[in-house]
Amino acid sequence: MLEQFQKFGQDLFARGLTSSHGGNMSARLGDRILITRTGAMLNHLTEKDLIETGLEENDSGVMLASSELVVHRAIYQNTSALAIVHVHPPIAVALSLVEQDAIIPIDNEGSYVLRKVPIVQAELTTGSKEVAKLAAKMLREYKIFMLRGHGCFSIGPVLEEAYQWCSSLEEACRIIYLTRLLQLAQVGVPALGGAERIEFRKHSEDYDKW
Amino acid sequence: MDGWHARILRVDLSQGTCQVEQIDRQILSQFLGGRGLGAYLLYTEVPPQVDPLGPDNLLAFCTGPMTGVQVPTGGRSSLSTLSPLTGTVMDSNSGSQFGVRLKWAGYDALVIRGVAERPVWLEVDEQGGTLHTADDLWGLEIPQTIAKLHDKGASAVCIGPAGENLVLFSAIMNDEGKAYGRGGVGAVMGSKNLKAIRARGQHRPGVAEKEALDFVEYEARKMISASPRTSQGLPEFGTSVLVNLMNWYGVLPTRNFQQGEFEQAEAISGERLREEFLTKRSACWSCPIGCKRETHTATEKGEGPEYETIFALGSNLGIADFETLIEANYLCNRLGLDTISTGGTIGCAMELAEHGLLNSELRFGRADLLLSTIEDIAYRRGQGALLAEGSRRLALRCEAPELAMQVKGLEMPGYDPRGMQGQGLLYATSNRGACHLRGNMLGPELLGLPKMLDRFAAEGKAGLLIVLQHTSAVIDSIGMCKFVNFAIGDEFFARMLSAVTGTHYEVQDLQTAGERIWNLERLYNLQAGFSRADDTLPPRLLAEPLEKGGSRGRTVDLDAMLGEYYRFRGWTQDGVPTPRKLDALGLADLDKRPAKETIHA
Repeated sequence: MLEQFQKFGQDLFARGLTSSHGGNMSARLGDRILITRTGAMLNHLTEKDLIETGLEENDSGVMLASSELVVHRAIYQNTSALAIVHVHPPIAVALSLVEQDAIIPIDNEGSYVLRKVPIVQAELTTGSKEVAKLAAKMLREYKIFMLRGHGCFSIGPVLEEAYQWCSSLEEACRIIYLTRLLQLAQVGVPALGGAERIEFRKHSEDYDKW
Repeated sequence: MDGWHARILRVDLSQGTCQVEQIDRQILSQFLGGRGLGAYLLYTEVPPQVDPLGPDNLLAFCTGPMTGVQVPTGGRSSLSTLSPLTGTVMDSNSGSQFGVRLKWAGYDALVIRGVAERPVWLEVDEQGGTLHTADDLWGLEIPQTIAKLHDKGASAVCIGPAGENLVLFSAIMNDEGKAYGRGGVGAVMGSKNLKAIRARGQHRPGVAEKEALDFVEYEARKMISASPRTSQGLPEFGTSVLVNLMNWYGVLPTRNFQQGEFEQAEAISGERLREEFLTKRSACWSCPIGCKRETHTATEKGEGPEYETIFALGSNLGIADFETLIEANYLCNRLGLDTISTGGTIGCAMELAEHGLLNSELRFGRADLLLSTIEDIAYRRGQGALLAEGSRRLALRCEAPELAMQVKGLEMPGYDPRGMQGQGLLYATSNRGACHLRGNMLGPELLGLPKMLDRFAAEGKAGLLIVLQHTSAVIDSIGMCKFVNFAIGDEFFARMLSAVTGTHYEVQDLQTAGERIWNLERLYNLQAGFSRADDTLPPRLLAEPLEKGGSRGRTVDLDAMLGEYYRFRGWTQDGVPTPRKLDALGLADLDKRPAKETIHA
């Protein structure tokens, strides 16, 4: 299991999906959780950075576990998830600050994989019961969601899948960002071409209902 | 009401009566339909101690909310009964259009019990059921029977001679080789003196939110056409595409699971089937994948064979004569036999004979005896009567139970679990016995779906298997095909179900429904006397390493996985669901076990 955490921790950092000490990951082991240590560097995980604790009951492991433990627990208690990834992908976080209800990918890959990533917001955005409740609710319906101004939580039956949703989200957001940048640039530089984004997907208007 | 009709047609063959009754929508919502509804009916109406071949057992043909709705693969239905082969809860799933017609006739389920005095066949339409004498049908093979019942706007299923003769692995089939195949459901129908059923229905079910369904369906079809499994492999080769692949992995069961690699696999491969024997592709109702094959030999034509048949009657018997194998498949289809159990039982007999434990000419590789052996089984002629009882009873009779490759009495499908640890756990824990259709680990262990895992690792398999077991229960219950799960998953099923029924289902609601169904099936098996001791595998797979091939040196590390599996499920280490788990699933009120046992759990 350590090998899996190391592999995806390194990837998350290398892809720029989290800062040196940000983000956390966990896996469910029946009635136990294996979660990254609070303050652990996902790019440099060692055996001591994986903390085992109870799914429902506290034990000494909570002294070391990620500050988002309460959120991870709530997700496992309310969904069939077996793995969780939480990171702060910068463009997705930026978009969550300007979009109202959801991020809707506009590119092919993002549409195929994600279709819609809902955005929710909380007053206390880190390790709070409020976020735990929201996360459990959202992930009963979606495989990934954005917490406004904070980051994304994603789930899967294996760590790799939860990682994939984060990676896909950030790429989709980057494409939205670049497209809007081009549209902006076109206002002052007509030589760049037409100002309208060209829609190529049938049913594109329905993605917000996903 | 969209999605369901909330109507059951009940037929009592002893009384000769047919009656339509309402079913509570809450039950349909909780158990979805299909396999889930069948498990509920069986659990609440048939104590597992009754004679499976007696009047008190029932046959419950159940449709799902997607059955007969024009969504990709929405043509499936399920049949539940107490199995005479295994003594467990049993459901067999089919792509026969019979289920679609049953749904269009206005029923979520057709429940048959009792025993008719003389052979009869049953006609079902929107008005109810009518019983007809079947003296002129009894004794006929499947194609002749179906031909006599052919009628526009209707679809029929029937038993063949194997079902009439109560072969414990006989099937209920139509003339296209589509079967309610496993667990001896044909024998149950035969024991009721019921030869055939024809369903006539024209009334397509409504859809609550058509625009929403259009969008989800559009997205689903995009995914199906983008996946090479559903848009290329299965359409081009059918399931036989797996022969060479399984052989390469070293998990193609060979000579009664003595080896995992067949030296003549190429001779019985999907590629050869396509080149030399394929007539044309075909598909079940509303299926864009189209994995079915119409084939021919020099002298015959028919349907199939599927991968499971090729393994069971081919590599598992050491037979590489593809023409004979294909004709053996046709013969099983005509006589109404489950090809997996037929091959598993003959393979067991071959090994028993090679060890001198069975007085028979059968030997691995004896293709010349295959067709006559199958006929002997179906008609219970000579030694065929002994084989007709399945591999477990055969091997017990020969005092070598370890040579039966079965779990809970059901012969194993075509994936040697020594090269797929999670598949071993699946076989051991499947509620109907050794089965690859109850959460197939082929995806994560060999095909990379949802992600490729280390197939030799035992650690971490239990949790994933449980999720897949629940998804499989959902697919069987809503009336769709598992192959579509190669392209789309729970998020699509939930949205389709919501659009069709008008009731909002979260993705997690479906996983919970799957878990509810799985636990109810487990309760039924516990009542029948099954326990942790039955969640096991043949000793060969636990102790005899494969000697060559891609899985050389491997056995199944079941003990480690089983404990983890029970813990993940919230069961005791005896494999019993705890009261807390049953309460969370809304099953506490249904639990009929004695209080002492429940408290102990």
